[in-house]
Amino acid sequence: MRVKTEMKKKYKLLLIDDDKDILAVLSKFLRKKKYTVVTASNGLEAMKLFESEDKDFDLIITDLVMPHITGVGVISIVKQKRPEIPIIAITGWGEHPEALATESQADLVLKKPFELSELDNLISKLLSKNNNNDT
Amino acid sequence: MNIPPPLIGVSQAIESIRELIKHVSDTGLNVVISGESGVGKEVVAQNLYFSSPRKDKPFIKVNCAALPEGLLESELFGYEQGAFTGANQRRRGKFRLAHKGVLFLDEIGDMSISLQSKLLHVLQSGEFSPLGSEKDIKTDAWVIAATNHNLEQDLKNGKFREDLYYRLNIIKFYITPLRNRPEDISPLIEYYIQRYSNHFNTNKLLKPSKKVMDSLLAYHWPGNVRELQNVLKRVVVLKDWEEVVNELNSSSLPTNLAVKQSDESSIVSDLLDPGDLETKGLESLSLKIIKKKVLDRIEKEVISYVLGKTGWNRSKACKILKISYKTLLYKINDLNLEPPSTLKRKLS
Ligand SMILES: Nc1ncnc2c1ncn2[C@@H]1O[C@H](COP(=O)(O)OP(=O)(O)OP(=O)(O)O)[C@@H](O)[C@H]1O
Ligand SMILES: [Mg+2]
Repeated sequence: MRVKTEMKKKYKLLLIDDDKDILAVLSKFLRKKKYTVVTASNGLEAMKLFESEDKDFDLIITDLVMPHITGVGVISIVKQKRPEIPIIAITGWGEHPEALATESQADLVLKKPFELSELDNLISKLLSKNNNNDT
Repeated sequence: MNIPPPLIGVSQAIESIRELIKHVSDTGLNVVISGESGVGKEVVAQNLYFSSPRKDKPFIKVNCAALPEGLLESELFGYEQGAFTGANQRRRGKFRLAHKGVLFLDEIGDMSISLQSKLLHVLQSGEFSPLGSEKDIKTDAWVIAATNHNLEQDLKNGKFREDLYYRLNIIKFYITPLRNRPEDISPLIEYYIQRYSNHFNTNKLLKPSKKVMDSLLAYHWPGNVRELQNVLKRVVVLKDWEEVVNELNSSSLPTNLAVKQSDESSIVSDLLDPGDLETKGLESLSLKIIKKKVLDRIEKEVISYVLGKTGWNRSKACKILKISYKTLLYKINDLNLEPPSTLKRKLS
């Protein structure tokens, strides 16, 4: 897997969580996996990054329960504007946000706690699926 | 009206509200706006609407606290002719009227649990049916809800449905109380003094002194911007900052006793002598003193009513009141009762 992603282009991920610690752990891990990682600590910040010209994200990972624009909001907005960008929702808040994330077309919903390697696998899968569809 | 109400403020809080409005107004995603009474929840709702592509469609407001459950339900969903006794003709619900526009559900925290379930169902399915109708009607209303409740607390107490909470709270606005963003006070004063001055036809711009400004900044504004507006209206009429601000500070009790709605008078603040409270502290809240004050007030009203009815004929009045002539004279003196000036001349 790792060799494969290194050989291809460097993917750019947008990582959104209002928990600074989770953001730090996940971004450190994903950078080690040779992804370019941009972080946002809430949905509003994420939307600003998403809308700025130079940030063309290949995949988005978002927490669900956050202030201002929730993860469900982020997913809905992204899927309205750029439905091809895969989104992974991570949640530790029970069934309701999870159901809403699925309803708003998140590609995957991952329940906390999860293994980092599991996240890595899912990212690779979504990215390669997307690449195959593109070409 | 086809311009949004102004959203004045230079604080970080208001800045980020403006930013959030800009980012979500074209999404149609469910919104909840929370904050104390008078902070500007409706202002934010209107600004969302006016910056959205729905601005040429209706903005329909429903106050969920103002109507009993049954009425609120028919208000929201409408009914068919004969749906219930008194339903003489078919009536469209607010969901229908707000089609392609905005449905502003004000005071959503006051909605009954059973109506919450019905609302949830509509939000889930995107369809509703009027009372007495079999048909489901599709709805495309942008739901913006507002509340001064702490909904998270209501969740814990079982007063608000969790599933509805998450479904509504896709976009969350919280407007912080005015006392937490004192830097907004000055621009608000400027705007509203100007506006009320035109309104009341005085051109003179009233600028508060440094001392006045300091006490405005220190005040806790339980009624938030609405209370500030009331203060500014008085300033424009009285043309005197000092007086209005003194009033403000003397009528303001310690926060735990303060009236919730600034424009609602409370028995407590009414009966307490603010001077007393300052010099004697909470001792002036003694029940004995309060009782005497209440009784005095009632006695005064009753006696002056009877005196008025009898044309200040004191012997008639004391018979009606079943007190001695002497007692009546004493009370008239003690309660500072005075005959109206037209009668006064006749009596003396
Ligand atoms: N930022 C602001 N700039 C200008 N005017 C404001 C602002 N915030 C509030 N106001 C004014 O203050 C008054 C109260 O605001 P609004 O009705 O929106 O409050 P609210 O939060 O809905 O209060 P309630 O909970 O009592 O319904 C309105 O006249 C509104 O125009
Ligand atoms: Mg309101």
